[in-house]
Amino acid sequence: MTRNNMLTNRPREHLKLSEALSLARAPEGAPPASRSVWLVCGFTPLHLVTYLQAHGRRRFGEPVHVLTGVFGDLPGNLERAAAEPANATAVVLEWPDLDPRLGLRHAAGWTTAVSTDIEAEVRKQLDRLRSLLDHVAQRSPVALCGPTLPLPPIGHTGLAQDSPFELRLRAAVQSFLADAAEIRGVRLLSAEHLAAESLAAQRLDVRMTLATGFPYTLAHGDVLAALLIELLFPCSPKKALITDLDDTLWHGILGEIGVQRIAWDLENHAQHHGLYQQFLAALASRGVLLGIASKNEPDLVREALARRDLLVTASSLFPIEVNWGPKSASVARILKAWNIGPADVVFVDDSPMETAEVSAAFPEMTCLTFPRRDPDKLIDLLCQLRGLFGRQEILEEDRLRTASLRASEHFEVERKSTSEEDFLAQLGAVITVEFAKKPSDPRPLELVNKTNQFNLNGRRFTEGEWMAHLANPDSFVAVVSYEDKFGPLGRIAVITGLNGADAPRVVSWVMSCRAFSRRIEHHTLDRVFAALGASRLDFDYRPTERNWPLREFFSRFFEPLPSEGALCLTKAAFEERFPQLPHAIKEIFDGHERSSTPGVLLEGVP
Amino acid sequence: MDTNEVRLQECFSKVFPEIGPEAIRNSSIDTIPAWDSVASVTLLMLVQEEFGVVPDMDRFEEFTSFRGLLDYIRETSPNA
Repeated sequence: MTRNNMLTNRPREHLKLSEALSLARAPEGAPPASRSVWLVCGFTPLHLVTYLQAHGRRRFGEPVHVLTGVFGDLPGNLERAAAEPANATAVVLEWPDLDPRLGLRHAAGWTTAVSTDIEAEVRKQLDRLRSLLDHVAQRSPVALCGPTLPLPPIGHTGLAQDSPFELRLRAAVQSFLADAAEIRGVRLLSAEHLAAESLAAQRLDVRMTLATGFPYTLAHGDVLAALLIELLFPCSPKKALITDLDDTLWHGILGEIGVQRIAWDLENHAQHHGLYQQFLAALASRGVLLGIASKNEPDLVREALARRDLLVTASSLFPIEVNWGPKSASVARILKAWNIGPADVVFVDDSPMETAEVSAAFPEMTCLTFPRRDPDKLIDLLCQLRGLFGRQEILEEDRLRTASLRASEHFEVERKSTSEEDFLAQLGAVITVEFAKKPSDPRPLELVNKTNQFNLNGRRFTEGEWMAHLANPDSFVAVVSYEDKFGPLGRIAVITGLNGADAPRVVSWVMSCRAFSRRIEHHTLDRVFAALGASRLDFDYRPTERNWPLREFFSRFFEPLPSEGALCLTKAAFEERFPQLPHAIKEIFDGHERSSTPGVLLEGVP
Repeated sequence: MDTNEVRLQECFSKVFPEIGPEAIRNSSIDTIPAWDSVASVTLLMLVQEEFGVVPDMDRFEEFTSFRGLLDYIRETSPNA
């Protein structure tokens, strides 16, 4: 059986149990699984464990260790998961967890007389689960799945009619799920997405429920496990989209029909282009970069993008590459302007030939064809884009991104027109270094996990690993923000490590590429030395394919730069090569601000 | 050894990877310590998946040895 996977738009092949068992088993001699998942449920977990291990193996290349609790005690299992947290927690709730009378393994009565009592019990149990979830989510990320199986035939109405009792039960659960979705760290499995991949009528295995306490068909267990792994260990969202114009952003060929006749509305049978524009506008509002690659006349495009009825604002489109050269060359220039890699970008064009040409030049880029002649397929495309760009939260930095990229053009022009020292001196730059460990703040982990170039070692953390790192009393975290006359960049760097007996050890240090050429990295180390009172810092350094900016910075202090391993930098050696830095510094320690005026601060800088 | 026997042996190998082919063919719930209730259920699901046969739980005693399961499959499976 196959179901459509909305993220890849390809049918998801059902993983047979025999295949899952092979995947779930670690190869002989393999080290113990480094990732663990608590499976919190009230039923016998049986094959769901195997499928979680198998999909974990597919995601990471190694099986995931799955912890399970006690049959029939979902609340108790939540307490166990909180007491001994794993890297992630999957909570799978079914009706019998809320009242055993709603399951098939109990026969304590389905008369109308007990319905009030069942309803009260369900509400009581949901209240209890709500507070337990809160507790677990403070220790590890949680994927929560509401009841996936139907209620037993308990209502007094005919099959086609919902009874008020059933509706009240479902409403209570929906209200609980909506509340739970507000808890930081808890993410709800989409019932709609699950239904697209696992038909409701094909989920329950009554024989297995009665014989073993495992309620799912293998196909349902497979889909559920795959989605839980996706929720708990999501892929990094894409950062940017490059779109074509003719017959993609709008209907019609601009050069043939002119600016006034291109369309994206119902009256002109071009609504699917309008929906696409509307979707792009929503992406832009969440900080996704939008660029244009079009074979067209630049003047005409300028005029077309100035039309006031365009649903995506022209100011959110940057850069705009309009020429008659190959699309791949335009894409290359856009990537350079953005300074991001092709793997972080989606390319959309109505011409399969153009998508193939770009895909051949950038195999890591996701290239999608716009369905200009088939509006039915538009929703598939938009769902696919939602999957690729989906993120847990929208941060202030996301909103700043496009504006700061535009400003970077002016920044570069000015930078090249004068000496570096003079240029930095007139920026009016303020660097804020905040020392605080905030598990509720997603930005530091986001930076660590998506920064490639200025990156100490390429190390990535799962959310669970990050939470455990922050909970370590020996750990320290500094988050760096930057602002100058060109505007704020937001929080653009993170340095974190562990205080050791000999010296603090930096385990991760990253800085966004938008913040290069400002000497923020010097201030960062200076403040870390000062805040930790350290005379030496050790670094878990490892060269990667892309961390040349970090290597370039380190090469000022280490000659030659070792190929890999721990680097020790003394404060004296650092200060010896510390350049003149005309920035104002603010430091924040656990929420309390204090201005810092290192000896290098120039007069007149705020 | 017919194809059913080979296919069933494959099912057993998935559940008991540490047991060799010869030992599998002579195995029963008494000879494999790891053959617990979870292994039994997994084995029966694999048989269902491989042979398209839904094991009749009233005949559970027959499913406690390789030979017993093989005989049951030969008797009932549309794919055997």
